[in-house]
Amino acid sequence: MRSRRGVTVGVVVAILLAAANSWGQSRLAGAYDALRSGRYDEAIRAFRAQTQGGAGAESIQAVRGLVRALSEVGRYGEAEEAARERIRSDSSELSNTLGEVLVFRGRREEAARLFERAIAGGASDSLVARLNLAVLRFGSGAVSEALAEFDRFIDVYNRNRERLSAQELTAVGTAVRYLGVENPQLFKDALRAYDAAIAADPSDLRPRVLLGELFLEKYNSADAVSAFSDVLAINPDHPGALLGQARRARFDGQPEALSLATRALEINPSLVQARVFLAELRLELEDYPEAAAEAGRALEINPSSLEALSVLAAAHRLQGDQRGFEEARREVFAINPRYADFYTRLSDLSARTRLYAEAADHARRAVELDPRSWRGYALLGINELRLGAIEEGRNHLEQAFEGDPYDVWTKNTLDLLDTFDEYDEVKTERFVLFVDRKESDLISLYMGGLAEEAYDRLAQLYDYEPSAPIRVEVYRSHADFSVRTFGLVGVGALGVSFGPVVAMDAPSARGPGEFNWGSTLWHEIAHSFHLGLTQGRVPRWFSEGLAVFEERRARPGWGDDVTPGFLTAYLQGRLLPVANLNDGFARPSYPEQLGYSYYEASLVCEFIERKAGGVALAEMLRGYRAGLSTDAVFRRVLKTDVEAFGNEFFDYLETRFRAPLAAMRPDRQLEHGQRPSRAQLEGWAKEGDDFYAVLMLARALLEEGELEAAVTHLERAKSLFPEYAGPASPYELLAHAHQRMGAPERAAAELEALTAINERNYAANLELAELRESQGDVARAAAALDRAVYIYPYDMALHERLADLYSRLGDEAAEIRERRAVLALDPVDRPEALYELVRAYYQSGDWVAARRTVLQALEEAPGFERAQDLLLEIRERGR
Amino acid sequence: MGLPTAPGAGVRPRIALAACLLLAAPAAALGQSTHLIVVSGLSGEPRYAAAFHEWATMLIEAAQARWGLPSANIVYLAEKVERDPARISGRATREAVESSFKTVAAKSAADDAVFIVLIGHGASRDGIASFNLPGPDLSAEDFARSLEAFATQRLVFVNTASASGEFIKALSGPNRTIITATKSGFERNETLFANYFVEAFAADGADVDKDQRVSALEAFNYARREVARVYETDGRLLTEHALLDDNGDGEGSLEPDATSADGALARRTFLAAPAGELIEAIAADPELAALYAEKSKLEERVITLRQMKDGMDPEVYERELEALLVELALKTRAIREREGSGR
Repeated sequence: MRSRRGVTVGVVVAILLAAANSWGQSRLAGAYDALRSGRYDEAIRAFRAQTQGGAGAESIQAVRGLVRALSEVGRYGEAEEAARERIRSDSSELSNTLGEVLVFRGRREEAARLFERAIAGGASDSLVARLNLAVLRFGSGAVSEALAEFDRFIDVYNRNRERLSAQELTAVGTAVRYLGVENPQLFKDALRAYDAAIAADPSDLRPRVLLGELFLEKYNSADAVSAFSDVLAINPDHPGALLGQARRARFDGQPEALSLATRALEINPSLVQARVFLAELRLELEDYPEAAAEAGRALEINPSSLEALSVLAAAHRLQGDQRGFEEARREVFAINPRYADFYTRLSDLSARTRLYAEAADHARRAVELDPRSWRGYALLGINELRLGAIEEGRNHLEQAFEGDPYDVWTKNTLDLLDTFDEYDEVKTERFVLFVDRKESDLISLYMGGLAEEAYDRLAQLYDYEPSAPIRVEVYRSHADFSVRTFGLVGVGALGVSFGPVVAMDAPSARGPGEFNWGSTLWHEIAHSFHLGLTQGRVPRWFSEGLAVFEERRARPGWGDDVTPGFLTAYLQGRLLPVANLNDGFARPSYPEQLGYSYYEASLVCEFIERKAGGVALAEMLRGYRAGLSTDAVFRRVLKTDVEAFGNEFFDYLETRFRAPLAAMRPDRQLEHGQRPSRAQLEGWAKEGDDFYAVLMLARALLEEGELEAAVTHLERAKSLFPEYAGPASPYELLAHAHQRMGAPERAAAELEALTAINERNYAANLELAELRESQGDVARAAAALDRAVYIYPYDMALHERLADLYSRLGDEAAEIRERRAVLALDPVDRPEALYELVRAYYQSGDWVAARRTVLQALEEAPGFERAQDLLLEIRERGR
Repeated sequence: MGLPTAPGAGVRPRIALAACLLLAAPAAALGQSTHLIVVSGLSGEPRYAAAFHEWATMLIEAAQARWGLPSANIVYLAEKVERDPARISGRATREAVESSFKTVAAKSAADDAVFIVLIGHGASRDGIASFNLPGPDLSAEDFARSLEAFATQRLVFVNTASASGEFIKALSGPNRTIITATKSGFERNETLFANYFVEAFAADGADVDKDQRVSALEAFNYARREVARVYETDGRLLTEHALLDDNGDGEGSLEPDATSADGALARRTFLAAPAGELIEAIAADPELAALYAEKSKLEERVITLRQMKDGMDPEVYERELEALLVELALKTRAIREREGSGR
C-alpha cells in the first residue's frame, strides 16, 4: 500500500510540478509576447516576476528576456544589474547575456571575458557568445582571427542545420555576413540563414531587422522596407526596425528619416546607432555643431563606439577643427588600428556635403588601410568620376565590383560607363561636352557657346575662374543621368554639378516644355563656380539660391518664378526662415518645400544684391571659403546676423509681392478635388481681390465664348498677380481670347509678356513666332524661336524657319548655326540641307566652308544642279 | 554680296535632268509607261476610313500632278465608292482587286512599271498573312497568284498595313520590288508608314539624289526614316520596321541602298511618266546626246570614286572628287546652253 500510496503521491507531485511548469512557461511566453509586441513595461514586469523562481531553465530564460527587454528600451544599467544579480559563479549561463549589455556601453574587454566564459562553460547560448566574441575581435582590428572564427560557423551550420535554434541561425547569418568581405557569394548565404532563423521562430524579430539591414547595405531599398515593415507590423515601437526604416528613408531621400530616428530614440534614448544616424543627418543639414553634440551624446552611452567617434571626427573636420578631428581619429585607431570604415564614413559624409575631392582622399586612405574595403573602392571610384578622372574611377569601381558584386550603385555605374563609347567629346575653350553621339552635333552647336558665355559672365561676377576644362555630361536617358548622379534610377533633379564635372539631362530625356536645358546648364555651371570658389564649403541653400538667381541674371524669363503656391505657403507660415533654409533642401518636410526653398533662396540672393550690391554675393562665397558659418558670413558681409536678416527678408518679400499676396486667399481653399460653384466664384470675383476666383471665372467665361467679359476678368487677374505666367496664366488665356477676337497684335503682346517670365512654354514661343512673322516682325519671330530651341531643340522645321528668319535679318552666323542644326537632325534630304548651308556660308563669305560643304552635297547627289552651279560660282569667287 | 541663285530658282523642267538616268537605262525603259493601283482596305473606324482615303488621294494626285501619270493609268479601289465617286474606280472587294490586276496587266506593255499600293489594316493568323478588305480578305498567297499576271512588268508592290512583313516571302521575285510596313506578322500595331510613303511622292524632301524624281527606294527610305523620327520624338518604342526586297531572295532589308543586297532595282524604278519630249530631243541632236552620255559617265565616276573613299588618302580623295564634280557641273552647264535654257 505504502508503495502504492507513494506512487500515488509521486504521481500527484509530478502532475503538480508539470502543471506549475506549464503555468510558468505560459507566463514566460506571455512575457515574450509582450516584448515582441513592444509592450515593454508589461514585458519587464512579467520577466521580473519570473526571475524570482530560482535557478531553473525558465528562470534563466526569464532573466535573458528581462535583460533583452531592458536593453531594447535603453535601460542598460538596470539590464546589467538584472544580469549580475542572477549570474552564478558556478554557471556560465548568463555570461553572454551580461556581455551583450556591456557591449552596448562600450565595455569591450569585460564583455570579451564574459563571452569567453560562456564558451568555456558550454552555456546554452555559447554559439551566440562565439559570434559576439568574434565580432568584438573584428571591431578591435583582429580581423584574420575574427574571420577564422566566423568561418567555423559554416561548419556548424552544415553539421547541425536541423538542430540550430532561431537565435543560433541568426548568429550563423551574421557570421557569414562578415565573411562576405572575402567571398561576396556568402551574402546570399547570410540571407538564407536569416530566412531560416525567421522560419525557425517566426516570432523572433531580430533576424528580420538584420535581414533588412543587409538589404539596405546592398542598396536594396524595396526588400529592406519589406523586412522592416514586417517587424513594425508586429511591434510598431521596435527601435531597431524604426532606425532601419529611418535609414531606408534617408536612402530613398524621404523626409521621414528624421522623425523615424527620433521615434526610435523615444523608445530607446540610449540607442547609439540612432544617435550616430541623427548626427549624420545633422551633418547633411550642414549643422556641424549639433552633429558633434549628437555624436557626443552617443559617446556618453558608449565611449568606444567607433561609429560615434567617426561622426564626431567628421563634424570636427567639416567645421575646420583639425585638432578635434585628430583627437577623435586617434581614439578610433587606438581601439581598432584597421578601422577602414572611419575613412569610408568620412568619405561618404564629405561627398554628401559636396566635398568630392576630400571624399576621394578619404576613400583612398580606406583602401590603403584595408585592401578589402570594397566600400572604399566604390567611394573612391564614384568620387573620382565626379572629379572627372574617368579611367581611374572606372578601375576602382571594377575593383569594388570584384569584391562586392551586390553593390547596386557600383554595378549601375559600371554599366553606365560601358555605354561611354557611344558618346562624343566636343571640346571648347574651357569645356568638354560629353554628349551621346546621336545628338552631339546638335547639342554642341548651342551648348558650347552658352557654356562659354556662362563662364565669362560668372568669372566676371565672382572675379574667379575655376579650373578648366569643366566636363559637361549630357544624358539622353534620365535613368543614366540618375545613375551618374546617385547610382540609382529615380532621381528627380535635372542636373547636378560636382565642380569639375556637370551632369544633366539632355533635352531629349524629357518631353517638350518639361524644362529649359539652357537655364539648367547655366545653373549647374554656376554651381561649379560656387564649389570651386569656396572649395566645396558653400552651404547648399546659398549655392542653389545663387544658381537660380544667376539663371535670372542670364536671360529674361530664365529661373524659377513665383507661384500662387509659394505665396500661399508664405501666408501659411510654411516657408522656412533664412537661418533654416538648408532644411528645405536636405530634408523637405512637405512635397513642395524643395521647390519653394529653391525660389526662396533665389529671392534671398536677389535681396542681398539689392541691399548690398552684387559684390556682396561674391564676398559671401569668399566668407564660406574661409570656413565661416552662415551667421558669421552674414555678420562679416552684410553686417547683420542671419536671424535679423531673415526678418528683413520676409519684409522684403511682403513688399515685393504685396499685390499678389493680398490676392491669395488660403482661407478659401477647398478640399482636394472640390471645385467652387459658379455662384461662389462670382461672389469672390466680385470682391475683386481673389486671384484664383477671378482667373477661374475668366476661364469659365472664355469657355462659354463670353470673350469680352473674359478679357475684363483676365486683365484684372493679371493686375492682381502680374508675375504669374505658369499654366493657364492670364497671359496665356488673354492671348487665346485676343486671337479669337481677331486681335493678333494684342495676342502677340500677351505671349511676349508670358515668354519673358516663363522659361518653359514651348508652344507659346512657337505661337508667338508665327504671329510675329505674320506681322512682319522678323526679329521678334526669330527671338521667340530662339527661345524655343533652349526648351526643345529637336524640331527640324523650327530650325529651318529660324534659319530663314536669320537669313532675312542678315544674321549670317545665326543662320549658319541653324542650317547646321537642320543637318544635325539627320534630314532625309541631306543634300538639300547641305545646299542651304552652302548658301549660308557663301553669303557670309566663308568660301572654304562653302566649298567643303558643297562637295559634300554633290558627293551624295552628283546630279544636284543647283549645287553644281554653286560649286562653279564658289570656285570663281574664291579665286 | 548676294546670292545668284535663290532656292528653286533656275531649275529646269525636271524632265530634262531625268534624261541623264534615262540614257543610262536600258533602251527599252525609255518608252515605258507607269501604272498605279491603289487599294484602300477595310477601315473599321471612321477615322481610319478618312485617313486611308486621304493618303490614297494624295498619292493619286501626286502621281498625276507632280509625276505626269495619265488618269487612265490609275486605278483606285476603296471601301466605299460613295466617299469619292470621281476618283474611286470601284469597291475594294477581293474580286475587284483581282480583276483590276488582270485589267492593268492586259493593258500594260511588257516593260511597263506597275505600282500596287495597299493602304489599310493587315493581319497574320496561323501563319497566313492577309490584307483586310470589305468581304473576304486577300492573303499573301492570293496576291502571289494574282501577280502572276505581271510576268514581264517591273512591279512595285507596297503593303503599308500592319502585320505585312510576311508578304515579302510570298511575293518576292525577279523584277519585283516588295515593300512592307512591318518586318513580320507580329508587328500588329497600327502603322504610320503609309502616311510617309505617300508624302515622299506628294511633298518635297524624298528626292535625295536630286534627279528630279522619286524612286521606290527613295520613297521607302523617306518613309522609314520619318516613321522612326516620329516614334523617337514621341518617346515611343518603334513597333514597325519596314522592309524592302528587290533581289528576289525573299529576304527584306531594313536599310536597303543601291550597293547592298536590296535597293538596286528600287533605285531605278520611279512613279513617273516617261520623258517623251526629251527622248525626242536627244534623238534629234547627236551632240546633245553625247553631252548627256558624258554627263552620265561622270556621275558614274563620282559613284565609283565614292565607293573607293575609305581606302584613299582624304586629301587625294577630295581633290579628285572636286575635279570630277567641277567637270560634271560644267557638263551640265553645256547641256543647258545646248538646250537653250542656260542661265
